[in-house]
Amino acid sequence: MQGSAAARRLAHRLPAALGAILVCIAGFSPALHSEPAVSGGISGHVTLTSRMRGSPISTSAYASRSITRQATPTAPELKSVVIYLKGAAFAGSLPLSHPQIRQQDESFAPRVVAITRGSTVDFPNFDPYFHNVFSLSGAAAFDLGRYPDGQSRSRQFTKAGIVKVYCHIHSQMSATILVLDHPYFTTPDVDGQFTIPNVPPGEYTLVGWHERVGEQASRVIVESGHITTADVSLPVGDAR
Amino acid sequence: MSEPRRPPRLLVKAVVVTFGTVAALLLLVFFFVRMTVRDQVRLTVTQNLDVSQRMLAALEERRLHELKTQAQTLAENPTLKAAMDTYAAEASFGNGSGRDQLLATVQRELDKLSARVESDAVALANVDGDTIAASGRLGSAWLREHADRRLAAADTDADREALLEAGGTIFRVIRIPLTLDDGATIGWLDLGNALDAHYAEMLDSMSRTRTAIVHAGTLVATTLSQAQARDFQALLRTSRPGAEAATLDGTSHAYREIARVGAARIYALSSVDDAAAEALTRMNAVLALLALGAFALALVGSLLLAGLLSRPIEQLSSAIDRMAAARDLSRPLPSTGSSRELDLLTANFNHLMASVTEAESKTEAAYAGAIRALAAALDARDPYTAGHSERVSTLSVGIGRVLRLPDGEIEVLRLGALLHDIGKIGISDDVLRKPGPLTDTEFEAIMEHPVVGARILRTIPFLLPHVDIVELHHERPDGLGYPKGLRGDDIPLLARIVHVADAYDAITSARAYREGRSSGEALRELWRCAGTEYHAEIVGALARALPRVSPMISDLTAAIRPSATTEVLSA
Repeated sequence: MQGSAAARRLAHRLPAALGAILVCIAGFSPALHSEPAVSGGISGHVTLTSRMRGSPISTSAYASRSITRQATPTAPELKSVVIYLKGAAFAGSLPLSHPQIRQQDESFAPRVVAITRGSTVDFPNFDPYFHNVFSLSGAAAFDLGRYPDGQSRSRQFTKAGIVKVYCHIHSQMSATILVLDHPYFTTPDVDGQFTIPNVPPGEYTLVGWHERVGEQASRVIVESGHITTADVSLPVGDAR
Repeated sequence: MSEPRRPPRLLVKAVVVTFGTVAALLLLVFFFVRMTVRDQVRLTVTQNLDVSQRMLAALEERRLHELKTQAQTLAENPTLKAAMDTYAAEASFGNGSGRDQLLATVQRELDKLSARVESDAVALANVDGDTIAASGRLGSAWLREHADRRLAAADTDADREALLEAGGTIFRVIRIPLTLDDGATIGWLDLGNALDAHYAEMLDSMSRTRTAIVHAGTLVATTLSQAQARDFQALLRTSRPGAEAATLDGTSHAYREIARVGAARIYALSSVDDAAAEALTRMNAVLALLALGAFALALVGSLLLAGLLSRPIEQLSSAIDRMAAARDLSRPLPSTGSSRELDLLTANFNHLMASVTEAESKTEAAYAGAIRALAAALDARDPYTAGHSERVSTLSVGIGRVLRLPDGEIEVLRLGALLHDIGKIGISDDVLRKPGPLTDTEFEAIMEHPVVGARILRTIPFLLPHVDIVELHHERPDGLGYPKGLRGDDIPLLARIVHVADAYDAITSARAYREGRSSGEALRELWRCAGTEYHAEIVGALARALPRVSPMISDLTAAIRPSATTEVLSA
């Protein structure tokens, strides 16, 4: 049983890995094809400067409904940050991605996903019990219903905006999907390093976004062939 | 002429005294029990209040705990969380589309929650503490007063419990965070419980005591009456802490603080007087019954007592009545045997009566002596009649005994015979001693003597029984006697006896003009005239009496005659 479960998990992860590769290729392709001029890029470092507001206070009266959360290794808070160019224009067909948000150990993983408009997100259930996916967001209000272990449901996001996703069964579960009209976005690595390549020269609003902070904007000028350095500081402490 | 007031009967006195005693006793019991009951009730009320205090405090703590638990559960509502977080995220993303829909979702969800919890206000605040929706009985007041702002400023302690004033109502607030699994707080769920009249009534119904809620020294809600509330408010201003008794609107109350939340104090009050009144009513009923029983018993008891006392007394007094009616003082009164005192009284009475009887007999003896002396003095006027009265008396008694007369009659006879010639006191010695025959006038004077004697005797009540003898000792059966000329049986027996005895002595005695004749001659003479001059049965009785009486007559004659002779000779 253990072995077959691991194999099944691998089978689910495999398409995700392939998808990631596809995204990379798609990300590079416009630069290669539609932009004869040498594109610039933005790279920088993200710092989380302070503790989050509204830090949780543990309550003795009623324990958290999540019973396995403590044991779950989770991604560092930096992985929940999205760096993107606000309102950047992009002509041509958007590269599509097909990421996964897993439902595992009573939480969504990853908690934050940024996609281009038109992309589809899979919500596979890895927990041995039912999960549900629903959203009340203006950009995409939906309810995928309840489904058990091993099943996966998908949703294509056709409208740009922020989409908050929850599970109706486990009220503490939440995930955010940023649906963007352009491919100029990225997520910093575990050290906080990020790079947005293939950005046409011009003046942009660089935004560091975190679900608890919102958008932290700064102006950047991208020059042809250059990698502009812009550090982003978000007043979010690493809660972990 | 009003009769002097008669003293009350013994029975009445006994009843009055007993009733008075019982009434006094009952009054004493009444006041004592009343005081005891009040103290007891005060103690009970205080104890009940202590129990209420502990119970309510425990109940409140439990209720609060349950409310917190409930709030924690409510705070896990996924729709609320999703809506709150989506609302915040979209704001942070810079687009506000669909806000109204989200707010409506939240409001609807809150309305559902508030219908399920007891709280007066259920409110949702965002992560900054701004209330974005509220529901419940006092939810609108909550929103209107921007309670959230002040709540954020208030010192929310570890229990997330705070006291808050909104719209003139004091709320006890439980604030629970809405969290997601990133550990972030995305908003607050506030449960507000008003410390108002509604709450006071609820406590009231749980503890059956009055409730008063005080905030910062001011009464904010109470189930007391207006006047009582005013007094309690005044008391709060002046009383030192720890005082637990108060007089509110004239009735005595005990009170306890059952809870304190921040500056708010919740008091339970209980009226001692109300509780006492109930107990006293019951007690009064019991006492009334008791009093009825006691009075009934007292009545029976006093009747018995009075009977016990008065019956022997009545017996005694009726015995005395009978004694007086029979004029028989010689027989002692029977002792009642009912009580020592009465027996002593009877004995004393008997003793007294014995003394009286003795004194009386002495007096009578003295009288008899005096009369005898008088009679002797009369007889002594004529030497021939000396000792006549004594002899007639002795003879009469002798005849009376033969006729078996009662002792009383014999005594009457004895004295009557002694006195039969007393009337001769008014006749001069010349007539009385006249040796020769009497003239008509002289004879008439002699014939007057029974009437004169009777007249003399009538003036002395003691001698009244002898009047007949004196007056009628010269009457004859044939009606030729004097003074009345009575016939036969109309003449009293005693008078007849004395008549015969008188005649016998006259015949046997010597006179100046003749010798005394013998007893036999005298009897013959008497027999000759029996039926006409003398009563035959008396003469018969005399004949039978003589053998016994003669010696006594001779003795008397022997004793008197010499002196009489001497007197005659000297005269």
